[in-house]
Amino acid sequence: MSSLDLSPVAGQLRRHSWLTRIWKARPPVVIGLCLGWLALVVIAALFAEFLAPFGFAEQSLLTRLKPPALMGGPAQSLFGTDDLGRDVFSRVIYAMRTSILIAIMATVIGATVGTALGIVAAHFRGWVDDVIMMLVDFQASIPFLIVALAVLAFFGNNFLLLIVLIGLFGWDGYARIARGLVLSTNGQGYAFAIRTLGVHPAKVYIRHVLPNMLGVIMVQITLNFPEIILLETSLSFLGLGVQPPGTSLGLMLGEGRNYLTTAWWMGIPAGAVIFLTTLAISLVGDWLRDMLDPNLGNKDL
Amino acid sequence: MSLQFLLTKFLRGAMTLLLAVTFVFIVLRASGDPAQMMLSDEASPESIAAFRARWGLDGSLVEQYVTYLSAIVQGDFGDSFRDGRPALQVVVERIPVTLQLGITALLATLLLGIPAGILAALHRGKWIDHAAMSFTIFGQSVPNFFLGIILILIFSMTLRWLPSSGTGSFWHLLMPALTLATATAATVARFTRSSMLDVLHQPFMRTAKAKGIPHDRRVLRHALPNAAIPVVTVVGMRIGGLIGGAVTIETVFAWPGVGMLLVNSVNQRDLAVVQSVVLLIALTMVVVNLTVDLAYGWLDPRIELHNKKATA
Repeated sequence: MSSLDLSPVAGQLRRHSWLTRIWKARPPVVIGLCLGWLALVVIAALFAEFLAPFGFAEQSLLTRLKPPALMGGPAQSLFGTDDLGRDVFSRVIYAMRTSILIAIMATVIGATVGTALGIVAAHFRGWVDDVIMMLVDFQASIPFLIVALAVLAFFGNNFLLLIVLIGLFGWDGYARIARGLVLSTNGQGYAFAIRTLGVHPAKVYIRHVLPNMLGVIMVQITLNFPEIILLETSLSFLGLGVQPPGTSLGLMLGEGRNYLTTAWWMGIPAGAVIFLTTLAISLVGDWLRDMLDPNLGNKDL
Repeated sequence: MSLQFLLTKFLRGAMTLLLAVTFVFIVLRASGDPAQMMLSDEASPESIAAFRARWGLDGSLVEQYVTYLSAIVQGDFGDSFRDGRPALQVVVERIPVTLQLGITALLATLLLGIPAGILAALHRGKWIDHAAMSFTIFGQSVPNFFLGIILILIFSMTLRWLPSSGTGSFWHLLMPALTLATATAATVARFTRSSMLDVLHQPFMRTAKAKGIPHDRRVLRHALPNAAIPVVTVVGMRIGGLIGGAVTIETVFAWPGVGMLLVNSVNQRDLAVVQSVVLLIALTMVVVNLTVDLAYGWLDPRIELHNKKATA
């Protein structure tokens, strides 16, 4: 944003207040905290059975709806217990595993399908391109939660369908990006040079074009991942995603909703984990975008 | 506004609608026998036979598709098996309640998002800017159902200021509308800010200043209209988000609108109602997108020219 220096506003920018200075010092600290939190989430998801003091379905009807340990509850239940006497802390850890696992698998599906279709569209052009782009427009024009609800209504709920369905959310973004990148690389010398050597197009895309797209696709993943978590948790919250006895962060919040007056700790920790995780990924994503492309001028967005 | 511009946009909308209908048709056929799916388990053999005849289920897939399409065009979406009334009627009854929530949320979005964005841009780098941008980060990350529950916990359960569910008064509307508006307002604020920053540094703004036009008039009459296009785009894009968000928010606050109807119908597998809601939402989105496209042409005639060049 060098052109800014010419403008009258630039003079004001140089007068940093102390608040501005704190703000300027913000990224490393906050990003560090975010990365730390995300590491915790991943560790919790990977090692749930070692970290959780109790099993996620372990009931104890004698200690139902007990408050968190620091609020007068039993010492072994950090976040209290739910309506079936299950340990909320343990369930949050297992729920992190489910939600993160679904989000990762769905992201892999969306990124793969979307990128592949984008490359296909750009390679063949013509009617193939038209059809794929029409599907992209269609996907972008209807709220996906509604589509997902409709499909779940018709097919009934099962875990595999849920993952595939959530995976299809966001493919249009990857397709659009991949298509644009392929179109621009196809116009560049190196792709043309390799092709004139007689290399198969598929090999050109996999060996030469795809590696060049990875950075942008990574950024798209940081944008898409929080939305995928929100989609899964929304569906589970509505009781239409992950089904009991399984557990997901959204499902826990949904179940806890009925006990807000008597036992708010049933759902709130799960909700807080969703919020902190999406917040952390968004902030890290913003920061990553600045790192990857300092010229983007993302600070103004 | 040229006829060609209108026609292209209109055809696109029609295409999206056709795709939506086809999507529902495919899903319905792929998921099993529609007669068993759409009717309740206790349906008599006669009513199943009548259903099959009505939807041409014994013909080929193409015939079924044509029958389905013509029924949809005539507004026949099947009957809700819960009370046997036409599904469309069941849905339409709920629309006013949802509109009340949606329009209030949209107003809140604009009234919060646009001024926040303008103020942040005008005071770039100051605390107002930082406060507004922190709010946008918060608003874009917080799951709306979590925000709703936190608000209920604070304002209904603890402070007992606001009702936690139901409809009837402005106070019932306040929390659901604000919850629904938070994410959209955050996005709108962010775009308004970046768009205003772009415009504020244009040479014509300096000219306006040199001409001695007062500050407020410069901002409101010269900068704002020029910054409006990205804002209109993002508002248009976020209306889909509002509709999707309304589904969860209506459930959180027991707001008896279309969203809650959809969730209940999905739970009870009242598929005629589900398909009516999906198709109605598709129609709404098409109308919204058309309106946004027309608003562009009106806000900036250059876009239409650009489109013409692209299609030529």
